[in-house]
Amino acid sequence: MNANRRHIASLAWQAGTIVLLLTVWQWAALTYPAPYLPALENIATGFLRLWHGDLLFSAIVPSMTRLAIGFVIAVVVGSVAGLTLGYLRNLDPWVRPVFEYLRFIPAVAILPAALLLFGPTDTMRIFVIAFGSVFPVLLAATDGARRVEPLLLEVARVERLSIPERLFRVILPASLPSIFAGVRIALSIALVMMVISELIAADNGLGFYILRNQRLFQTANVYAGVLAIGTIGLALTLALLAVEKRVLAWHRGWRGLPGADG
Amino acid sequence: MEGARVTFRSDTVDAPAPNILTWLFRRVGSLNELLKISPRLGVLVKGAAGVAGAILIWELIRALRIVDPRDLPAFLAIFRTALQGLWGGELAVAIVATIGSWAPGLFIAAVLGVAAGIALALMPRLEVATRPLLEFLRPIPSVALIPVALLVLGIGLQMQLFMIAFASIWPVLFSTKAGVESVDPRFLETGRVLGLGKAARMARIVLPSTLPFVATGLRTASAIALVLAITVEMLTGRPGIGFYIENVRLNGLITEMWAAILVTGVLGYLVNALFMALERIALPWSPENRER
Amino acid sequence: MGAAMSEPILVMNKVGKAYSAAVPILRDVSFSQAPGEFVAVVGPSGCGKTTMLRCIAALMQPDQGEVLHLGQQFGDPPPWLSIVFQDYNRSLFPWLSVRQNVGFGLRKIDRRERDERVEQALSAVNLTHAADLYPWQLSGGMQQRCALARSIVVRPQLLLLDEPFASVDAQTRIDLQDMVMDICKKMSLSTLLVTHDIDEAVFMADKVVVLSTRPAQVVEQIEIDLPHPRDQLTTKESPEFLRLRHRVYTLVRHQAQKSAAAHTEREDQ
Repeated sequence: MNANRRHIASLAWQAGTIVLLLTVWQWAALTYPAPYLPALENIATGFLRLWHGDLLFSAIVPSMTRLAIGFVIAVVVGSVAGLTLGYLRNLDPWVRPVFEYLRFIPAVAILPAALLLFGPTDTMRIFVIAFGSVFPVLLAATDGARRVEPLLLEVARVERLSIPERLFRVILPASLPSIFAGVRIALSIALVMMVISELIAADNGLGFYILRNQRLFQTANVYAGVLAIGTIGLALTLALLAVEKRVLAWHRGWRGLPGADG
Repeated sequence: MEGARVTFRSDTVDAPAPNILTWLFRRVGSLNELLKISPRLGVLVKGAAGVAGAILIWELIRALRIVDPRDLPAFLAIFRTALQGLWGGELAVAIVATIGSWAPGLFIAAVLGVAAGIALALMPRLEVATRPLLEFLRPIPSVALIPVALLVLGIGLQMQLFMIAFASIWPVLFSTKAGVESVDPRFLETGRVLGLGKAARMARIVLPSTLPFVATGLRTASAIALVLAITVEMLTGRPGIGFYIENVRLNGLITEMWAAILVTGVLGYLVNALFMALERIALPWSPENRER
Repeated sequence: MGAAMSEPILVMNKVGKAYSAAVPILRDVSFSQAPGEFVAVVGPSGCGKTTMLRCIAALMQPDQGEVLHLGQQFGDPPPWLSIVFQDYNRSLFPWLSVRQNVGFGLRKIDRRERDERVEQALSAVNLTHAADLYPWQLSGGMQQRCALARSIVVRPQLLLLDEPFASVDAQTRIDLQDMVMDICKKMSLSTLLVTHDIDEAVFMADKVVVLSTRPAQVVEQIEIDLPHPRDQLTTKESPEFLRLRHRVYTLVRHQAQKSAAAHTEREDQ
């Protein structure tokens, strides 16, 4: 009862903040008209227009496609390479310095090189997205595979599992919690790289939409585009968390974390 | 080992018994040291071999013409150009310029992020009220706000600093908040038992146990700040490594471009190493350092 | 038991193992186990019992000597052997349910037969009601029963038990002992139990092998001719049990004292 009331109170506080912020914005937009302070209704119109018709196919769909392909490549390549590296410990000292160097290259710096090699194409954008987001997955998978309980590996040996079987039945599930942590970081980086690649070289996509409207001083559309990117980011993060909650239900219960269903 | 045992036997002839043991211990000790050094040497050699292998792959891609060799200069040429550029060339100027906006931007983010993190952790009301705003702002990729910042602030140092600070404040803020919230209540109880006042508990218990979190947040922030500094330079032509890379590419100076990317990677590596070293020196007791 | 004097299921022939020349673990360990025999290995803690078990399971290769199964040497962990480890909470897969854990080692067989065998193993250890829970939702004793079911479901000839009852409370331990003895007799399994609990060794085994302090050597092998079935009360109160227990206890204590003396000596110098 008490907890319920507190919950309602906090919801009221949060709603209050949102209303207050929106009111201040709208008041400021009407009282001090400035190009960078468009009225809320204009932003809302711009935002809604993005989700259907021409704009859906020239802004949102291209962005989402590149993001999806680049991100999936990063997750798959990162997991496979990371698990292998983590399992075959002897390999680690050979490749570590190279990876340690590559992972700390600010991924934007790669963009001009990708532009040079691939031209202003989707291949280039997907490459940049994948390059930027592969390392968190790779490192997390390596770490996860290295921390697999040695006793479980012995059980696998006693049960005479082959090396691929060990990778898929023991090392992969045991590393999944770690991999998911890496994938969450990778998602936010992939989103950033998607936007950057479209800001610098694209003729469609959300980044391009924002930049063009900024040049045309269609400010409400700029804000609408930013909102759309935020919405996509939030939706993808929530989707990822939902998948994680399902896949890793055992992990939450095992570690005694809240929200375990198992 | 056989050899050691043989010497051991011949020594017993003239050495008194207790000394044999000390001798043996010393012998085993020096052997251990040798074993400790030689794997490290092995790691070094293997690492170098790995780097050599990567360079070889680069040269192979050139030789097999998988991509146009004009777009992929020889590694040695890139390396030489990088050294020349760093030794009083334009590259050095560009790096100094990037650091010149990266450092103050990160500093602003650190100060504001730590302050906001502590405030949010200590004032639950404030945290509840601002949560929608924070949850709304956080998932927006900060680079998407560059056009907005251009609208409001125009092109200039102010806008660049704002973007760097805005992007890198989040990890500092959230890890500081997590740090304050995760202070072990037993420490606070100990403090109360020992008669520490509220302010003293804050300064002597909460702050020290939060610092490792702050340090981790700062290290993440430092990398984000670098990305933002470079992106803003590329997009708006502010002086720095980002503008330099884009500029030499547009002028067809391919080797210069690769050299600049090579150096940027080193810069990213050094920034991370710097913050790791700071953490280790300032917080040797932090859990992350103990694990190593 | 052990009436059929056929080829021994397991022979340890002068097995030696060392982590380095300075740290020998096993030295000339020799004993043999007849089919269906229950052998318990006892020795002072840290004497190398687990290392010996790992050599038998081929998780580790001995430096000297040989381990034979029906007169044959073997390299990788063989199909006729399975292990129950001491740390049930680390040896069960936390992402698999109890049922899936038990079925883990059953591959390449018909699905219906597989399910059937898993059910049999589950009911043998009395876990049918918990089959769909995760192992970490169970008590320690139930987890160890799950590990036991996983080991017997593959129908091994030799079951290795590495201090399987060391991490559970006293009452659970007694129940597990009875359960293991019962299952091993019913399946006519050869069982090798490594333990530091002398009562347990004498109570459960047909033969107790006493190991010395590190490097471990076989000090003595004692036939335990207590009648079957054994009972926690009557068997443990019988004069024969007490006599055997006394004998094993004296041997182990002597080893422990020797090891303590060696420590003091080393510290003196």
